[in-house]
Amino acid sequence: MSFNQAIETAPPAVPLTVRFGGWGTGLMLLAVWLLLIAATSLYRPDFFSHQTVLAVTFTMAVVGVLAIGQGIVAMSGGFIDLSQPANMILASLVAVRLSEAGMPLAVVIVGAILAGMLWGAFNAAIIVFGKLNPVIVTLATNFIGLAALFLVFQLAEVPIGSEIYHFGRASFLGLPAIFWPMLALVLVVGFLVPRTRYGRRMIAVGGNRAAAKARGISLKATRFATFMAAGGFVGFAAVLFAATAGPFNPGSANTLQLNIIAGVILAGISLAGGRGNFWMLLLSVGFLSTIPTSLVFFGLSSDTQSIFQGFILVIAVAIDGWRARRATP
Amino acid sequence: MTDVTAAPARRPGLSEDWRAALTGSVASITLTFIVVVAIGWFWVGPKFLSFGNISIIGTFVIVPLIVGAFAGFALLSGVVDLSIGSMVGFSSALFALLLSLGWDPASAGAVTLLACLCFGGINAIAIVGFGAEPIAATLGMLVALRGIAWVLLGSQGSIFAFNLDMFNLVSTTVGGLPLFFLLAIALTLVAALVVTKTRVGRHIRAVGGDDKAAARAGISVKKVRVAALLLSAFGAGLGGIVYAAQLGSAARATGFGLEFQVYAALMIGGYSILRGGVGNPIGGALGLLAVAGVSNILDLKAISPYFVNIIVGLLLLAAVLLDRIRGGDAYE
Repeated sequence: MSFNQAIETAPPAVPLTVRFGGWGTGLMLLAVWLLLIAATSLYRPDFFSHQTVLAVTFTMAVVGVLAIGQGIVAMSGGFIDLSQPANMILASLVAVRLSEAGMPLAVVIVGAILAGMLWGAFNAAIIVFGKLNPVIVTLATNFIGLAALFLVFQLAEVPIGSEIYHFGRASFLGLPAIFWPMLALVLVVGFLVPRTRYGRRMIAVGGNRAAAKARGISLKATRFATFMAAGGFVGFAAVLFAATAGPFNPGSANTLQLNIIAGVILAGISLAGGRGNFWMLLLSVGFLSTIPTSLVFFGLSSDTQSIFQGFILVIAVAIDGWRARRATP
Repeated sequence: MTDVTAAPARRPGLSEDWRAALTGSVASITLTFIVVVAIGWFWVGPKFLSFGNISIIGTFVIVPLIVGAFAGFALLSGVVDLSIGSMVGFSSALFALLLSLGWDPASAGAVTLLACLCFGGINAIAIVGFGAEPIAATLGMLVALRGIAWVLLGSQGSIFAFNLDMFNLVSTTVGGLPLFFLLAIALTLVAALVVTKTRVGRHIRAVGGDDKAAARAGISVKKVRVAALLLSAFGAGLGGIVYAAQLGSAARATGFGLEFQVYAALMIGGYSILRGGVGNPIGGALGLLAVAGVSNILDLKAISPYFVNIIVGLLLLAAVLLDRIRGGDAYE
């Protein structure tokens, strides 16, 4: 049965427009981003400043790392991980508790990443053994996780003067220190995914589950691997978040969710799975992270920020749907 | 293959109807509902089923019932509208703003509903016209509408718009129960009749069950889905107006997170947000009442309200597992 389906739905040849679609997406994103920068600096010439660059790269750090995790889930055919907020708060809490215990930064980072991977494994276990859709499972685990976290703590903060506290405020080569690990991770993941066996397996499962299964790829193992890897990235994002957020409560990560999904879709990583290029995340996340700063320069309240971000997501998803419809006649 | 099994069954005969009623989604939510009532009865005591307490639950659940009855049509037709929570917030903000500007309630309500339909129309263009993923597109609309509502509410973050006539209307009780609660129940029953007994309802379920088969049968899939998304926006608009009348004001928190509560309850009640064609307004209403009952029990027992979310989350997982066992799509 699955074999039949594999033959039926195997694409005969990748059309040129689709093969180079990634670069088209990149050029379009770059154009929109530059347009935004040009418009803002025409209105307010003082937009061009080191201060702006600092603000944008600062915002990009946490969003970018979370977007890698979300991108992995989307590309492997898991649609969306809606439990990222609960996962990140959990890992941040682990980071805070470890640094309160006086642990060195390396231990804090490893602890947070392990916490994130554990959460990912928890999601994957429900998805794989219950054969349930990841969207609903992560919706439910986010619900449960955030409520449980509210029972555990109300407000947490990394101790002032600890290593992680200084890491969050340090700068390197004129940019926030937290920006560099994000940049490195996006570049490395974007390089490795299409070039390693694991990465190609992930793309194969996301593109056509039945065909991947027929070729002998274990769907269960891939699902566990992708959700745990995605959870690990959320765990690392939690370190950056905890280092910079100041006091946070379990609800503090809720507003990030939408930006991340928008960033992933704008980058051309299709929610339908199997398509996308992680390097594009730098452009999409950069563009989305410039919006708040631009709005401030235009003198608009922070409330209008959600209007722009919301409609940008609607437009991005519409383009994604239109593209997918053209790619599969 | 999966398509064949997922195709909606032919209209069942009478005995099959009965079997479906005993094993189907309505049966399991009825059982859940009875269990919740029983726990309330034994744990809280007879007070739980007193008219006073049912009135409290009823008043609390009016808006979710209205919103859920209309949003159910979108779920049935196979598209999910996550923007309903913000739509409720937007609607209450706009309605309160217009009232505070001296408009009469009727024209303020009409303009508010029209505005909600416009935003529902944008959802429909993105999802039906461009083929956008419904969850992601309406998530964007959710955030955009929240921003618009907050801008309407201004720097204060709330608009006071108390209207005595309207407040008296929504607080009317009939036979000890709130009039609007009874109206919401009546609305649910009408929706259930439309879904199960009319041609329109069968078309909606057919589109949700298998859109390709429905299109081959001559049903306009696009029309049905556009109508369903507009209905969902309309219901959320109506819910926002009722909220504003109940509270006499609109605030930033109005409708915040309502979409997750409503959809969790609807899925517990037998709907699915991932495949259309399943679920029934009566099951959905029972789901909403069961969740409201759980939070009422925890409230009366002075237990942290966060446990409600944990229980709702677990019920949700159990409900989708049941749906999968009953023939929902298995995810691998």
